[in-house]
Amino acid sequence: MSRQKKSAIDPVILIFLGIGVVTIAVVLLAFQSQSFAVGADTSSAGQIALAFITGLTTGGLSCLAVQGGLLASSLAHQIEQDYVEQSAQPKKPGKKNQPPLPRQSTALPILLFLASKLAMYTLLGALLGWLGSYLTLSPTTRAMLLIAIGIFMVGNALRMFNLHPVFRYFTIEPPKFITRYIRQTAKGTDTATPLFLGALTVFIPCGVTQAIMATALGTGSIVLGAALMFAFTFGTSPVFFIIAYLTTELGARLEKFFIRFVALALLILGFITLDGGLNLIGSSLSLQNLARNLIPSNNISASAANSPQSSISGDELVLYVENSGYFPSTLKAPAGKDLKLNLVTDGTYSCALDFLIPALDFYQMLSPVGTFQVSIPAQEKGSTLYFTCSMGMYTGQIVFE
Amino acid sequence: MIKKTFNVPDMHCTNCSMKLESIEDALPGIKEINASYHKQQMTVEFDETIISEDQIIAAAKKKGYQAVLV
Repeated sequence: MSRQKKSAIDPVILIFLGIGVVTIAVVLLAFQSQSFAVGADTSSAGQIALAFITGLTTGGLSCLAVQGGLLASSLAHQIEQDYVEQSAQPKKPGKKNQPPLPRQSTALPILLFLASKLAMYTLLGALLGWLGSYLTLSPTTRAMLLIAIGIFMVGNALRMFNLHPVFRYFTIEPPKFITRYIRQTAKGTDTATPLFLGALTVFIPCGVTQAIMATALGTGSIVLGAALMFAFTFGTSPVFFIIAYLTTELGARLEKFFIRFVALALLILGFITLDGGLNLIGSSLSLQNLARNLIPSNNISASAANSPQSSISGDELVLYVENSGYFPSTLKAPAGKDLKLNLVTDGTYSCALDFLIPALDFYQMLSPVGTFQVSIPAQEKGSTLYFTCSMGMYTGQIVFE
Repeated sequence: MIKKTFNVPDMHCTNCSMKLESIEDALPGIKEINASYHKQQMTVEFDETIISEDQIIAAAKKKGYQAVLV
């Protein structure tokens, strides 16, 4: 009697485990590539890993709040059909509460929906990256874009906190004809419907998705844009799948509980992005530069400390460009005379190679090993020149005394 | 046909406006619903001989929203 039931494992559990294993593998791969890929831009791998984790943690719930209804409505007919089929099953005498059969047919539409969504968002990422390649021409443009993205993310987070009605305008409302079309398509029952609906979710991105889309635009690369959107959407899939499968009612409850958590995560990401933009324009208001000026420290890496060269020698300054940043992060230099800044790399492969001094409009992609000399014109006493990597992640300053 | 606007203060995302607009598929007598998350309002064009404002408010409540006639 129950023999068959005990041996039968719900395919949904298997699929869920599969997604879980793939998810862990992708995260490990992303971190591994960040640590060992020689010559690879580690900041890109880091960005992809971050997009994936964002999707896995906050994006899944946020997306579910916006797009979950679509999936639920497309599944409704399927569930109804299952229910009718189960009701039609002959009940055995003496078995009042016969457990229902697993809904094998529900898993497939969810998977089709998610697969289609993944494909569409990856394509969208490629398109945004391609568009971004025309926009990101200079570090200044990139800085402006990062600041705009940061403001958009912070605004979206404040919207989620329901701080003020004005922040509602930080989310884009899809046009009426699109929402009506999606709604009507959701009434279909065939296999193609979840596929089509999954593709249509591209028109109703949630706040977190919109933020990642903006980041994909900022990459200026088709491959990186696609990879970012793929990683993020793939990251949203496990949460989406589990909750959509269990019940959409739970999704609504979760959304209410976690909306503030999502908002907080988005707020932090927004400030990080905004800070990167401020670093790129060489602003003293960026968190790193503010912290450096408030708490002065002569941080120096092990390799820089062991180097026979001093960081200042006559009219020449030495800055060690390493995978984890610039050392020392604060250089003190004499004011009123021309100087040479020697940028020393030795097996450096991070985005620190993409060196720029915004105030001098200087930009150089350094080679992984070697020394590059930059001419610094005479600066006034008390002035500061900020330098940064092209992502605004690694920073430092030259203080003229 | 008349057009009436309702305040819906508990909309918290654009999906809420989609949910409210779906009322037009369910209730006879409604020609069109335009819901805006930005404005926290929905405008309903309906035949008052077929459906009343109270029925529309009840339908919104069923979707989880408190609609108040402006």
